[in-house]
Amino acid sequence: MALTALEIYKLLPKTNCKECGFPTCLAFAMQIAAGKAGIDQCPPASDEARETLGAASAPPLPKVVVGTGERAVILGDEVVLYRHEKTFYHPTAFAISVSDALDGDAFRDRIRRIRSLSFERMGERLAVDMVAVRCDSGDPARFAAAAAAAKEGAGTPLLLSGPCDALAAALPSLGPDRPLLCPPVGEGDAGARLAAPLGLPLVVRAKGIDGLEKALAAARAAGVRDLVADPMPASLPDAVSLSVYLRRLAILHRAREVAVPTAFDLGNGFPSPFAAASLLVTKYGSLLVLDSDDPADIFPLLTLRQNIFTDPQKPIQVEAGIYPVGKATASSPVVITTNFSLTFFTVRSDIEASRVPAHLLIADCDGMSVLTAWAAGRFTGESIAKILSESGIAGAVSHRTLILPGMVARLSGKIEELSGWRVLVGPQESSALPSYLRRLPPAAFAPADA
Amino acid sequence: MTVANPQQTFPGRIMEVTLPAGEGGRSVSVGGQTALPLLPEGERPNAAAIGIEIRTGDEDLPPSLSHAFGGKGTDPAVLAGNLVEESGAQFLFLSLAGCHPDLGGHAVSRGAGIVRDVLQAVPCPAIVGGCGEEETDALLFPAVAEAAQRPVFLSYADEKNYRLVAGAALAYGHGVVAWSPIDINMAKQANLLLGDIGVPPHRVLIDPLTGGLGYGLEYTYSIVERIRLAGLSGDAALARPILCHLGDSWKAREALDSAEESWGDVIARGRRWEEATAWACLAAGADLLVCRHPDNVRTLRGMVGAPWR
Repeated sequence: MALTALEIYKLLPKTNCKECGFPTCLAFAMQIAAGKAGIDQCPPASDEARETLGAASAPPLPKVVVGTGERAVILGDEVVLYRHEKTFYHPTAFAISVSDALDGDAFRDRIRRIRSLSFERMGERLAVDMVAVRCDSGDPARFAAAAAAAKEGAGTPLLLSGPCDALAAALPSLGPDRPLLCPPVGEGDAGARLAAPLGLPLVVRAKGIDGLEKALAAARAAGVRDLVADPMPASLPDAVSLSVYLRRLAILHRAREVAVPTAFDLGNGFPSPFAAASLLVTKYGSLLVLDSDDPADIFPLLTLRQNIFTDPQKPIQVEAGIYPVGKATASSPVVITTNFSLTFFTVRSDIEASRVPAHLLIADCDGMSVLTAWAAGRFTGESIAKILSESGIAGAVSHRTLILPGMVARLSGKIEELSGWRVLVGPQESSALPSYLRRLPPAAFAPADA
Repeated sequence: MTVANPQQTFPGRIMEVTLPAGEGGRSVSVGGQTALPLLPEGERPNAAAIGIEIRTGDEDLPPSLSHAFGGKGTDPAVLAGNLVEESGAQFLFLSLAGCHPDLGGHAVSRGAGIVRDVLQAVPCPAIVGGCGEEETDALLFPAVAEAAQRPVFLSYADEKNYRLVAGAALAYGHGVVAWSPIDINMAKQANLLLGDIGVPPHRVLIDPLTGGLGYGLEYTYSIVERIRLAGLSGDAALARPILCHLGDSWKAREALDSAEESWGDVIARGRRWEEATAWACLAAGADLLVCRHPDNVRTLRGMVGAPWR
C-alpha cells in the first residue's frame, strides 16, 4: 500500500533542516506522498527510511521492455486497478503467431498478413505489436532461421517460443534485438540461464498463482530481472480471474513476489480466443498471443484496446478551424460540427468515406459533443453565425450553404437569420453522411451571387 | 499460499430483479450479487442475461445482420419467434422504431398492436423500447403499457419523461428501464426519482447509455464500473442491475463498410464489432446485454453461464 504523509513523516529525521528544499519535514512528507518528491532529496534520512520509501515509491507493477528502438513494446508499469482512478499507461500488446514449420512461401505470406494488420483510427495507427515465433519443427536451426526471417519481414519485436536448444540457436543473431523468451514449462531453469547473462526478458510459465510464485522466485534467483508471468489458464473464466487476481495482488497488496506483467497464449487451441482477448484487454492482460491473422478479428480488438487505454484525464479535443477533406474546392460543401475529438474524427472519416471533398468546419465547444455542446449553450445559432463570419470559411468557398448536424436542426432558422447563409439539415447520425453527401445536388453549392 | 488472498468482499448487494415471462416461457432474474463480475468470489446467484433486439420500421440492415436474418421472416412476431428460438435469447428487446416519423411513421395503435402480437408469439420476458421521438413516445408508452397483456419493462424513462413512463408502468404492473447519459449522478438521480413516485426498486434497471466500440465505449465502460463499485460499496440507489444495449455498435462505419478490404469480411467484422462491445460491458459489470446478432447471443449465453455463476 502507498504510505500516507503522516506515515512518511514518522520515518523522516523531523529536524526541519530544509536541505530537501521544503520548509518542514511534514511539508516534505506531503510532497513525497503526492509523488512530487523523493527520499533522495533528504541527505540525513536513515537507511530504514530510504529502504521503506524507496520500495513504496517504485511502481507497484514493474516495467518490462521487449525489443529496441521505436517499436519497442512496454509491458506493465501500471498504478491503478480502474481506469477512472487515473489512467492505464501501457496498452495490452498483441503478438500474432507464426510457426517455423511453415514452408518458405507460406511463411512469407503469413508474415505479410501479420504486417498488414494495421489500421488508421481517430488519428492513431493501430497495429499488431509483435510476432510470436513458435518452434513446431523441433529443429533448432530451422527455428533460428524462421525467427530471423520473421524479424526481417515484420520489423516488430519478437516473442520466441520453443525449447531452450531452439531459443539458444536463435539468440546469437537476435539477442541484441531484445526478444522475449518463452521456454516450455519444464525448461524454466534452462530458460532463466539463457536470459540472465544477456539481460533478456523471460516469460515464466506455471499453473496458477502459487505455481508462479515459485517459478518467479527461481528465475529471480537465476539472475533474470525482466520477468513476465503466464499463469497458464485452462479456460476463459480461469484466464480472467487469474489476470484480475495477479493485478490486484500487485496494486492492492504490493505482493512483489508475483507483481510482474502477464502474458496469455490464446492460440494453440485455447477456447474462444476472441472472447478471451476482449476480456483480457479490459482486464489487465499485458501481452496476448493470438493465432488469428484475420483483420475482422484483429481490428475490433485493437479498437477495444484504443478505447480502454484512452487517458480519461485528458480533455480530448481538436483545434477549431477549417479542415479540408479530400481535394476540397470553392464549390465543395461545408459541414460544421464541434471540436470533441471523437465527433471530429467520426465526421471526418465519414466524409472521407463519401469520397465527396468537403470543408469540415470545427467549432470550439470545449471538447463537447454536438448535443452536449448545444445543451450547454456552446453550439448555438449565435456561436455558429460568429464562426461563419470569423473563421475565414466565407473566403474559402464561393457558395453560402452550411450543412448542420441533424441533431440540432432547430438552430437552422437562427443561423440563416444571423449569418445570411442557407442551412441544409444533415443526418442525425454521422454514419449517414456518406450517402447524404453523395446525394447532394451540386447546384446546392453554386456561387452565392449566381 | 504465501502471497495475500486476492479476493475482495463488499458490504453491498445488487438488487435482484426478475423479468417475468409469459405462459410457457422462462422468467429471468439478474442481480443479487455481492461481487464484481466474472470472478469466483462473493455470492452470485444469477449469471448475466443475454437478450436479442427486434426493431420495427424501415431500416437498412447492416450487412452482417441482413445475412443473419435472411429467411427468418419480416413480420416482427415471426422474426422475433425465430430469432429467440434459434439464438437461445433469454429475453426480447422489442424496439418500436417504426413509430418514428423517419423510420415508417407507424401509428401508435399499430405499435401497440405489434407489441400484442409479439408477446403472444414469444413467451420469453420482454422489454419494449420507444421510437426515440419525444412526442410520439409520450403517446406510445401508455398505449404499449395498456396493450401488453403481461408484465414487461418499458425502455426508457429519462429525466424528462420519467413521470409519464413510470405512470404507465405502475398502472399496468410493468417495470422501467431508467436511462441516463453516461453520468453516474444522473443514473442515481433517475433511480431516486422513480422511487419517489412509487416505482418499486425491484422493477428498475439502469441503462447507462452504451457507446459502441470505437465510439465512446470507454466512457460507458468506466461509468458501468463506477456504478457497480458504488452499488457494492453500499449506495443503495445504484445497487441495481445494469442493462447495456449494444445497438450503437451497429452504427460504426467499421461494422458496416464493405468497401474497405483491408478490414476483413464485413459479415464477420460486424458481428465481432458487437461482440467486443459486449465483452467489455460484461467485464465492466453489465447484468443484461441486448444484442442484435443471433450468433452473439448464442456465443455470449454459452460462455456466461455455469463457470461464472
